[in-house]
Amino acid sequence: MKVPNNPLGSLEHIVLLAVMRVGSDAYGMTVRKEIESATGRDISIGAVYATLNRLESKGFIKSHTGEPTAERGGRAKRHFRMTADGKGALRTTHEIILKMSAGLKGLQHT
Amino acid sequence: MLDRTLHVATWILSRLAPEGEREPLVGDLTEEYALRANATSSSAALKWYLKQVLASAPPLLRVRLTQAAWISTITVALLAYIAVGVAEFSVDWAISNRTATGAFAYKPLGLIITFPMVMFIAYFAARFRRRAPIVLGAMMLLVVTVMTLWTTESMPLWYRIAYFVVGPAAAFLGSAIRSLRPSRS
Repeated sequence: MKVPNNPLGSLEHIVLLAVMRVGSDAYGMTVRKEIESATGRDISIGAVYATLNRLESKGFIKSHTGEPTAERGGRAKRHFRMTADGKGALRTTHEIILKMSAGLKGLQHT
Repeated sequence: MLDRTLHVATWILSRLAPEGEREPLVGDLTEEYALRANATSSSAALKWYLKQVLASAPPLLRVRLTQAAWISTITVALLAYIAVGVAEFSVDWAISNRTATGAFAYKPLGLIITFPMVMFIAYFAARFRRRAPIVLGAMMLLVVTVMTLWTTESMPLWYRIAYFVVGPAAAFLGSAIRSLRPSRS
């Protein structure tokens, strides 16, 4: 498994975590909703797709097209799932954040 | 009126989205719009929809421009490669015309003349796309490697090494000289 040298950008980090949290039902809108409900951040669907596109080009997620449905105007969903490299990237980024925040006062929840 | 606004907004979004993202992105918004219209009202759902389209425009445009930048970099590099080919052919032809036999020979003069020409072409390519000379250098290295592996002709070692070094080095130098120039912006 390739371990990335560069940590994830903040939005990449959040979107990758959202893909992991949503699991098998991860597609653009569920990822957006997960971010909104977990962080309160109102993120646009375009920003989600742009980030998913970047993550896929880095090999951190994979996508496949589902069946078109009537409630979507006959348009298919694009499902996403995290790869082993994506997990590695998340782990590396978490390690960096933990190391950088270790010993700093005022960051812990009271 | 609501339908017309929705239709126009969807059309704008589908123009902005990269081709691969177009269908799932519009489908996601359509699905969520229907859910919101049922839960609240059509006008509230439309307001949300329009806000999503507006907020989605900058990141989607950035994706499209990034993709387009790569295409144009490769196009400029390809054109530069053709220009290098023409320059090399012209130099070889000019030198061969001045030799008595006209037979192919390993000419240091050809390499010496070609070097600044490739440098100039790379410099010129970098004016259009900053990374085009790097792609050009990589292309030349790849072609020389393939030619060296496939050729049955024996050639002196110095010529082999020079052939590997001259093109990519000239492309790199042309790019480096261009990057030394202060930008206008």
